Amino acid sequence: MNISYKWLKELIDFDLSAVDLAEALTRVGLTVEGIEAKGDDSVLDIDQTSNRPDCLSHLGVAREIGVIVDRPLRTRGLGVADVPYPAALAGEIVSVDDKDLCSRFTARIIRNVKVGHSPQWLVQRLEAIGERSINNIADITNYAMHDTGQPMHAFDLDKLAENRLVVRCARDGESIITLDEVERKLDPSMLAICDAEKPVAVAGIMGGLDSSISATTVNVLLEVAYFDRDSIRATSRKLNLATEASYRFERGVDIENLIVASARATELIRDLAGGEPAELIDIYTSPFNPKHIESRDISSAVARLTGLKVEKHECDRILSELGISSDETRESYASPSWRYDIAIEEDLVEEVARHTGYENIESLLPPAYGAGEFQPTEVSERLLRQRLVDLGYDEAITYSFISTETDDQYEPVPDLIEDDASEPLVTLRDSVIQGSVRMRPTVIPALLDALRTNFNQQRKNLNLFEIGRVFASLADGQLPVEKKVLGLVITGSETFEGHASVGQPRDFFDIKGALQAALDAVGTATATFSAETPKHLRAGQSAVVKIDSRPIGSVGRLRDDLAAQFKFKQPVFVAEIDLDLALSAAPEIPSYFPLPKYPGVVRDVTLLAPKTVTFENIVRSVMDKGDEILDSVDFVDSYEGNDMTPGERSLTIRLGYRSESRSLSDNEVDQVHNALLEAIKSETGAGLRQ
Amino acid sequence: MSQETQQVEAVRVSFDAEYQRFGDLVLDGSGLSAVESLLRELNELKIAHTGKRSALAESKKLIGRVPAEERATFGQTVQSIEQHIVDSIETTAERINLFIVNAKIEAERVDVTQPGRRPRQGHLHPITILRQKIEDIFVSMGYTIESDREIETDHYNFDALNIPEGHPARESQDTFYTTDGFALRSQTSTVQIRAMERHGVPIRIIAPGKVYRRDTPDMTHVPMFHQIEGLCVDKGITMAHLKGTVTEWLKRLFGDDTITRFRPSYFPFTEPSAEFDFSCFKCHGTGEYENDRCRPCKGSGWIELGGSGMVHPNVLRGVGVDPTDYSGFAFGFGLERMAALMYSIDDIRHMFENDVRFLEQFR
Repeated sequence: MNISYKWLKELIDFDLSAVDLAEALTRVGLTVEGIEAKGDDSVLDIDQTSNRPDCLSHLGVAREIGVIVDRPLRTRGLGVADVPYPAALAGEIVSVDDKDLCSRFTARIIRNVKVGHSPQWLVQRLEAIGERSINNIADITNYAMHDTGQPMHAFDLDKLAENRLVVRCARDGESIITLDEVERKLDPSMLAICDAEKPVAVAGIMGGLDSSISATTVNVLLEVAYFDRDSIRATSRKLNLATEASYRFERGVDIENLIVASARATELIRDLAGGEPAELIDIYTSPFNPKHIESRDISSAVARLTGLKVEKHECDRILSELGISSDETRESYASPSWRYDIAIEEDLVEEVARHTGYENIESLLPPAYGAGEFQPTEVSERLLRQRLVDLGYDEAITYSFISTETDDQYEPVPDLIEDDASEPLVTLRDSVIQGSVRMRPTVIPALLDALRTNFNQQRKNLNLFEIGRVFASLADGQLPVEKKVLGLVITGSETFEGHASVGQPRDFFDIKGALQAALDAVGTATATFSAETPKHLRAGQSAVVKIDSRPIGSVGRLRDDLAAQFKFKQPVFVAEIDLDLALSAAPEIPSYFPLPKYPGVVRDVTLLAPKTVTFENIVRSVMDKGDEILDSVDFVDSYEGNDMTPGERSLTIRLGYRSESRSLSDNEVDQVHNALLEAIKSETGAGLRQ
Repeated sequence: MSQETQQVEAVRVSFDAEYQRFGDLVLDGSGLSAVESLLRELNELKIAHTGKRSALAESKKLIGRVPAEERATFGQTVQSIEQHIVDSIETTAERINLFIVNAKIEAERVDVTQPGRRPRQGHLHPITILRQKIEDIFVSMGYTIESDREIETDHYNFDALNIPEGHPARESQDTFYTTDGFALRSQTSTVQIRAMERHGVPIRIIAPGKVYRRDTPDMTHVPMFHQIEGLCVDKGITMAHLKGTVTEWLKRLFGDDTITRFRPSYFPFTEPSAEFDFSCFKCHGTGEYENDRCRPCKGSGWIELGGSGMVHPNVLRGVGVDPTDYSGFAFGFGLERMAALMYSIDDIRHMFENDVRFLEQFR
């Protein structure tokens, strides 16, 4: 908020320049964001924290300066009589029906005012802090608020039905046209200031248009009140109407300062608008009761929390100048009516510390403790990230909320979604990004969006990965499931660092290889891949990934119709696995095998097989048959061409033979080799290609 | 001159006649294969004139017929002719070989400034790079890394952090809620609570993670971002330890001349509370960089980074820790803001667009 340097000078005597003052205020927690010269004045833009509504006025800031320069505030006389109208007669003018929401209400009648322009000094004062002049009465109430922190409202007394006010909650169906000329429907949860018939103001928020001060106003009723903070906040939210007044009331004004604030405005109306102050009504139903804060030894409390050494008399000086009085007999302090934030000893410590200066607190490292550590999975995750980066993958981070449009199109990692959940996905009440109300059950759609973003920049050879959480609901009001997943997407051809030309087009085996490499990096037990088709993948180029026969995710080519939604005209491959599961498998400690003493023999065989026969089928048929000298079965190549019968392919494998006790003879190898080929043939139907 | 000597001299003459084209040889400008065949021809010449069936070999046999007194001279003549042939051929062979070696070097010369052959390297996200750097620093200072839920109950997101009902930070206009009434955590401080519940005290942790606020994306706001939260609770911990710790890690990240500034502030879960700034890493606190107003610190010399303070006694009591026995500090800051400052990123929305032209810039 804007605070005028000259205005402060009227409230307290101090010898700081505007720049020095800004620094001093920032030091004690009233952060000055900027200083602007306005004529012969300087205006400080102070960023207030929400716990200090008392500083939303020149008086409040002056009080802080008082502690800084160790001087009292200037005393200002009330200027007008403050003797309230007898309570017995007050009801003729004001009655407070809802005392819970309005614990103090004051009204001052001022007669025979002349509404007109404000004097130049007042116009300038308001302009300096960024306020527009309206008329003398409105300007005075505004001025008094910025002076004392107390919002107030002036009614045209003669426009109030029966010339009186009733403070009550609105009735069903009641509405009011507020000063901003908007009709607002009120409800019984809202406190209203009413005349004998109808609401004339939304309490603490905005006055009504009909009863407002106009050029023809003669008699004024000046309302200066205290309203329940939560009630004002709730009404302000409901009406979507926030004002300078509501801002202060919902944070809390000084209930003990109403008479002073009222007198300040009344005095100005008398002096500047020729009004004659008359009746003052003060309905104060639940008087302020200061909080007592137990503190046996404030000086050691300060030392215990901040390390600062501040003598008790200095602590007491700071606190008393802030209005926090010490009660020696009760070993306690009493917080003043304008400080809502002082409730416990720690709060007192902060007051002492900030006025002693945080810069005077030492800078020490805590005493040595144990060694720090990473989560075991964090170490693995780093290795995995680095492996993918080395393989050419860029790390993406996408928003956790996605559009509902992808619902049911992608299959999440296994066991994320509860089968019997009626609303399986976590949904936000609303979002700041159009339509994105779903907490993602999969990272793939957002990664595909990222591909699209890059396609639009003519980047079409891409590898992206993301590690992040996915979400699903649980029944019975339990917190949703959160799982960490690894997602991969690739498309286009292989690329080389520093080369504009590209290599081979990527296919299923590139993304499978990347996934295997990533899992290898973290020492996860070997993953297996079985030909299955989760719903977002294309049949024939998709697999479910398993560790120890437990599914952890899937990999494959994105289904054509999904690719079309993103206007991808080239194949896109995606993978997603449950990373928590992948990282939870304990890395195996390698066991050493003695290096072979005798030479091995290898035989490559090219088999002709139906495409339904997999490499794994072949390997299994060899391993099942087995032999003492069989050492290895490896993949060499797979070939499908126009010269072959449709539905068949040739598959070349390499069989390795070795004995630990002797050199093998050709004859011996031939026998075993032929037996294995027969086993392949009988188990899978794959025979030698002629 | 004896007949034998004349015969020997004829060998020289015939060699010289055949060798002449090699003696006059000009190699410059010749092709490699032409020169290689020349070398073969030279070898053939050598065999023809020095081999077992050469005229020279034949003439050596004549020595028996030479009168005894001339034998020494004859021998010398034969030797000198042999020497002449061998020397001539070797000289030329050397020339040709040198030419071939040089020609091969030229033919196989590479442009060493061309890019090396390697697959394109991928890139970590700048947020990950920064997070890992900061984690490394804290682990070396005795902190343990904690991570936890992103969807939370109001209890963990607010109540346990001493943020009462009605507090401005609690208003739904700042917090995302699920239809089931859970909150997307609006600060990583939630991990303070869960970690103290899990491990008790004393404790030293940092908790990096995603947080969510209902901000419409613009150049300086995004509805999801990353924070790092630090917590240290033990007997005898004071704000001096907070200052020392924050200053130490910033020094390790930005250099030994980094200084920090703590300003009083307000957070519901700390008391006393402070915001912390550090001297700008670019202008080293001068506010000027290359005779211009320094950009990261907007000329102030200070960069505002995060919030901190002494853990509020209500927070400690809430997790069963007696605040008269234990005290602690906590701090938190946003990684996107820090990355934006460090790397001069003018629009933090880039962080979540995953444009590889952006991602490629960070290593």
